[in-house]
Amino acid sequence: MNTTRRDFLRLAATAGILSQVDPFTSRLFAAPQSPTNSALVVIFLRGAADSMNMVVPVGDPGYEAMRPTIASTIAEGVVPLDKTFGLHPAMKSLKPWFDAGKFAPIVCAGSPHQTRSHFDAQDWMEFAAPGDRTMRNGWINRYLEASKPKQDNASEFRALGMQELLPRSLRGSYPVLAVPTSLERHKTGKTLDRFEQFYGDSGEMMEGGASMSGQREEDPAGVVQSGRITIQTLRRFGEIIEAAEKKKKKAVRENQSVSGGSYPNSQFANRLQQIALVVRANEGLEVAGIDYGGWDDHTQEGGVEGRMADRMTDLALSLAAFCQDLGPQLDTTSILVMSEFGRTCRENGNSGTDHGHGGSMLLLGGGVKGGKVHGDWRGLGEADLYQGRDLAVTTDFRDVMKEVLENGLGFEPPKDFFPQYQAAGVRSLY
Amino acid sequence: MKPRHLLVSSCLSLFATATLAAQEDAPAPLTEQQRAAHVLSRLAYGPRPGEIDRLVEMGVDVWLKEQFSDKASADPRLAERMSEFQTLSMGIAECISFTATPPTDKPSVADQRLARRKNRIPMEELMESIAFRAVFSERQATEVMAEFWRNHFNVSFTKGQDIYPQMPDYEREVIQKHVWGSFPDMLTASATHPAMLNYLDNSLSRRPPSKQQLAELERRTKRKTGSEERATEAVQIASQRGLNENYGRELLELHTLGVDNFYKQKDVIAVAECLTGWTIDGGREGTRKYVFDPDMHVDGNKQVLGKLVREDKDGGPGQGMDLLEMLGKHKGTADFIAMKMVRFLVADVPPENLVEQVAKTYRKTDGDMTAMVQTIVESEEFWDPSNVRSKFKTPYEFIISSLRVTGCEIGSLGELERYLVAMGQPIYNCDDPTGYYDTSDVWLDPGVMALRWEFAVDLANGKVDAVAIPDAFYDQVPADVPPRLWQHHLTQLILPGGAGARTRAALATVTSEYLEKKKVLDLFQLGPELVGLLLGSPEFQQQ
Repeated sequence: MNTTRRDFLRLAATAGILSQVDPFTSRLFAAPQSPTNSALVVIFLRGAADSMNMVVPVGDPGYEAMRPTIASTIAEGVVPLDKTFGLHPAMKSLKPWFDAGKFAPIVCAGSPHQTRSHFDAQDWMEFAAPGDRTMRNGWINRYLEASKPKQDNASEFRALGMQELLPRSLRGSYPVLAVPTSLERHKTGKTLDRFEQFYGDSGEMMEGGASMSGQREEDPAGVVQSGRITIQTLRRFGEIIEAAEKKKKKAVRENQSVSGGSYPNSQFANRLQQIALVVRANEGLEVAGIDYGGWDDHTQEGGVEGRMADRMTDLALSLAAFCQDLGPQLDTTSILVMSEFGRTCRENGNSGTDHGHGGSMLLLGGGVKGGKVHGDWRGLGEADLYQGRDLAVTTDFRDVMKEVLENGLGFEPPKDFFPQYQAAGVRSLY
Repeated sequence: MKPRHLLVSSCLSLFATATLAAQEDAPAPLTEQQRAAHVLSRLAYGPRPGEIDRLVEMGVDVWLKEQFSDKASADPRLAERMSEFQTLSMGIAECISFTATPPTDKPSVADQRLARRKNRIPMEELMESIAFRAVFSERQATEVMAEFWRNHFNVSFTKGQDIYPQMPDYEREVIQKHVWGSFPDMLTASATHPAMLNYLDNSLSRRPPSKQQLAELERRTKRKTGSEERATEAVQIASQRGLNENYGRELLELHTLGVDNFYKQKDVIAVAECLTGWTIDGGREGTRKYVFDPDMHVDGNKQVLGKLVREDKDGGPGQGMDLLEMLGKHKGTADFIAMKMVRFLVADVPPENLVEQVAKTYRKTDGDMTAMVQTIVESEEFWDPSNVRSKFKTPYEFIISSLRVTGCEIGSLGELERYLVAMGQPIYNCDDPTGYYDTSDVWLDPGVMALRWEFAVDLANGKVDAVAIPDAFYDQVPADVPPRLWQHHLTQLILPGGAGARTRAALATVTSEYLEKKKVLDLFQLGPELVGLLLGSPEFQQQ
C-alpha cells in the first residue's frame, strides 16, 4: 500500500502522542507487522443513554440528592477517574484502558439544537447537521464519498454496518453494506450466485427497452443497485471472514499465541468480534457501525445493579474485549460511542430519567489522548443546568467528529462538510 | 379455482399491451388490468391466484367500493380460522386471569416453563392472527390500513410481559374498531387504552406528593420499619415521584402534530400535566382498565399551544379530553395525518397537491378516515403511471405478498416470524414509538436483499416450516404449454405488472440450462426454481 496523505497525517498524529505517553503505553504503539489503514468504529446507543450514570459525577456535591434510587457511590464500587468523575461499577472493565491512556470520555457533549425528540436528535447527530431536515447522507457516508479513491470500484470494502439495517450515519449515496448477521454463511454463497443475473451490472440495464407493463426499464427505488452491491460485497465479506478464521485455526494448531479478547456472550459482542476479524484482515476497512438499542430508561433505571447496569456491563466488557482483540491494530483504530442526548439530571417519579440535553461521548483507540476526562463540566447547581434540568452542552458533538476524522482517519473535512458549523478552536482528543 | 380460459385470455391482453406500449414514449394511462394490479399492490398485500382476473371482471371500482363498505362480503373462511384463537376476543382482565398460573410455594423448573409459555399465548396468537388476516382476508384494504394505524399508534411487545395481555384488546378496540372511523375517536381510544398508557408510561405520570402526604408516608414507614433512616429515604424517593413526559411528547410529535410543529418543550410539559391521572385501575381488585385517578392529577388550568385548557370542574378527566379534542381539530394534525397517509399509499415523496386535498377532507369530515382514503384512490396521483411499482416493499409486505401470490397454505406463523425478525420487522415488536417506517430509504440497504433471496428460495422449495405452495398454484399453467414457455406463465402469475428485460433473460437462461440437463421435464422441478427467482427478482420487491 502506498503511503497516502491520510497515512502521513495519521503517523504525524501518532508521533505527537508518542512523545507524551509512558513506557508501558508506547510499547503498545509498536508498528504493526503488515500494512494497515486507519479505521473507525462507530457505536450508537439508541434511546438516549443516561450518560451521567456512565461517567458519574460522583464528586459533584449536587449529584447524590438528585438521584435517590439511581446514584451509585465510590463505596458501592464507582471507579474514580479524577476528582469529579468515576466510572459506573458496571463499566469498570474500561478502567485499564483509561489507565493505559487509550480511553477518553468526553462529558457534556451534544447538539446545539434544543430538540428532545429521539428521532430528530438521532437523525441530526448521525447526519451531523442539527436542525437540518434536508440532509440525507450520514456524516460517515459523506466521509466515504469525499475520500473515495479515484478509480471508483464499488466492490471495494471500505465500510460496513454490522446489522440488518444500516445506522443512519452510514446511510447515503455512497453504497455501504449492511451485513445481516442472521444469514447462514454456507447457504448465502449459493443464493448470491443464483441471483447474480437478476441484479447484473448497470450497463445491461440501459439496453432493456420497455418492459411488459410499458414502463421504462429503470430502477426507481434503487433495488437493482442495492442487489448488485449486496452480491459483490457480501461475497467479499464471506471470503474475508473465512480466511481470517482459517488463519486463526492454523495459529491455534501451531500453538502460536492467538490474540483475541474474551468477549461476553451477547449479540453486540459477536458483532464487534466480526468487525475485529475484518479490521485485522487488512482488507482496507475504514468504517464500521453498530447500533445498541434500548437505552430509554424512563422507569426503573436501576442503581449499581439493574436494567441499565446490565446493558453497561455488556457494553464495557465487549469494548474492552474488542480493544484487546485488535492487538497492535488498536493503534490505528478509533472507537466512538455516542447517543442522541443525555437525560434529566434529576430522577423522575418512576426511578427513571426523562429526555435531557448534554450527554457523554466515549472515545477509545491507540492514538487517543486517554486517561483524562475531557469536556468542560460546569456542575449540577440550578444555574449551571440547561433549562434548569439538564446538563449543558459545552462540546459540540461535531467538534469530536471533526477530530476523529482528522486525527483518527487522517481526513481533513472540506469546508461545508458540517453545514452551519463553526469549528471550535484547539482540541486535544488525539 | 378460476377456469383456465380466463387466465389465458388475460395473458394475451397483457402481451398486447406490452407491444402497444413499446411503440410509444409517453406512459399511457393504465389499463384495467394494470389498475387491478396496482390497487392490489397498494390497498392489498398483492393478488392471490386468480384475483387480478376477478377484479377486471367485476371492475376495479366495484372492488374498491366493496372494500370501504361496512357490509362487505362476509369472510366465513377467515372467521373460522380466527375462531381457533383463544385470546383474541378477551378483555384485559380476562386475558390476565387466562394466562395466570396459580401461585405455588416452590415452583419447579417445569412449572416455571409452563408459566412462561402461558404468558406468551396472547402474544403468539395476536401476531399469528394478524399475519393470517393479512394473507387470507378478503377485506384487504382493512388489513393494509390496520397496519398503517398499528404503526402510527405504535405499542410493542418489547415493553415487557405486563403488556402482553393488554395487546389483544388494543388491537380490537383501538385499531380494528376504528380503521374506517374517525381519527379523533381512534386518538381517544388509544389515549385511554392501558396498552398505550403502559407503553409510553403515562400510567405512572403524576403530580408530586404534597407535604401532607409525605409526612404521612414518613410516619407510616417509621411505624412499619422502626428506622428513621428508612423513613427519610422513603420520603426522598416519594418526593421525586412526578411527571413523566414520555406520552405527552409522543402524543404531539408522533400521533398528532408532527415533530416540532406548533409546539415547544413547555407545551410538552403542559400536555403531560393535563393527562396526569390517566392511568390503569390496578391493585388487587382493579378492573385493569383505564381509570382517571384525581389524586395523581396536576390541578389547575393549563396553557397548551397558546390556548387555555381548563381544569375539569367535576374533578374528572375533562381537561385531558378537551386537550385531545383540541389536537384532533388542529390543522397541524390534519396536515400530518394526510401527509403520512399519502406517503403510505402513493409515493415516498408525497405529492403536495394530494396531501392538501386529503387534509381538506380531514378538516371537512372531522377526520373521517374512510373519506381520506377515498380521496386518495379517487385522485389522479394515485393512478399516475409514475407512481406504479415505485415503492419498495417493507419486509412485512414482501413476506405477506409472497404468501398471497403463491396461494400458500399456512399452518402456523412459527418460522415466518423468524424471517420477519431477521429482516427487522416482527409484528407488534417495534420498540421505537415511531412504529416501523414505510419509506424505501429505511429498508433498502445493501445486504438486506440477501435475506429476501433466501426467503424466496426457501419458500418456493418448501423449506419454510408449516408453509406450502399448493400444487393448484402450478395447475394454473395450462398443461399444453411447452416447457420453454413455463417461465412466461409463471412470470404472469407472480409479476402481473410485467418483468423487465434482465429478469426475462435470466429466467430464460435458467430454463435452457434445465432443458439441456434433463431428459424428463417436470414443472414441479423447474417451477419452484423459477418461482424462487421470481419472488427474489427486483420487480417483486416493488409495489
